[in-house]
Amino acid sequence: MVSPEIVKIAMFLGAGISVSVSSVACGIGEGYIAGEAVHAMMKQPGANDKLFRNMFVGQAIAETGGIFSLVIAMLLLFSGLENGVLSWLTVSSLLAAGIAVGLGSVGPVLGSGYSGGQACAAIGRQPHHANDIMGNMLIGQALSQTSNIFALVVSLLLIYSIPGVPAGASLGWIIMKATALLASGLVIGFGTLGPGSGIGNVAGRANDMIGRYPAQRKTIMRTMFIGAAVSESTAIYSLVVSLLLIFAIK
Amino acid sequence: MEMTIAQGIAKAAALLGAGVCMGIGALGPGLGEGFVAGKACEGIARSPENANLITRTMLVGQAVSESTGIYSLVIALLLVFAVKV
Repeated sequence: MVSPEIVKIAMFLGAGISVSVSSVACGIGEGYIAGEAVHAMMKQPGANDKLFRNMFVGQAIAETGGIFSLVIAMLLLFSGLENGVLSWLTVSSLLAAGIAVGLGSVGPVLGSGYSGGQACAAIGRQPHHANDIMGNMLIGQALSQTSNIFALVVSLLLIYSIPGVPAGASLGWIIMKATALLASGLVIGFGTLGPGSGIGNVAGRANDMIGRYPAQRKTIMRTMFIGAAVSESTAIYSLVVSLLLIFAIK
Repeated sequence: MEMTIAQGIAKAAALLGAGVCMGIGALGPGLGEGFVAGKACEGIARSPENANLITRTMLVGQAVSESTGIYSLVIALLLVFAVKV
């Protein structure tokens, strides 16, 4: 048993970490999209409505990571978790939930930002193919956001399936189990960083090349899908290790 | 459930190690494979007649980059399941 104040400290720290870390990435990613859009408008003032639309849609999708973090922060702060089971397992679960979704959104948001920025640059070069480029940008950003959804799932699991402390559990066991929960947040948080930004790089290069060689759109999209699927594999390993750390440690 | 504090700390360190190992180990392969695939998109756009060759090289390169991710997964699983204290 711990006092409710310590559970509250974990809630506040988790909420703060999740929103602050993810807003760093959102600022950088969305700023990059806007910067490329402005640069492209300078070169092609006639395409400014298409560029504005693309910029707005791209920024909205890049913002997803920030919104996930905000939702988790609100859940941590206002769903009355301090009235539930008060144990060290609750403390480490709540802290890990904040770390998972906060760190976990950095890579996907940076990746979506790169993809959106390259799409704006490509539309500035070839305004007639704006629809093809925007379609590819949306698919690329969606691929890049998948690992963000893994982080959200782990975070929700950590908040809503906090294990109880069985009768007769020793202090050593509680230390081990609490560390396992904290590690599950760290693994999905760091594990989505590489795949998220890697897939963003694939999608960004694909947008750029569709803008330069619109006739090769189908081949480029096929390569983008295969490449993104292979890059995603390490995020899936991280998800597996994270779920094992939550559910398989007895 | 029966564990001394020292055993608990030792097992906790193994689990934290598993988390850090897989988390940071996923960073390099993810970034590297994304870079390979991005360059493959560029190559295919510039010379579409070599699409098969480029896709094959991309997959081989990604498979080699993936190896350290798999090492991390193996070490993480060993730390979770094989470490007895």
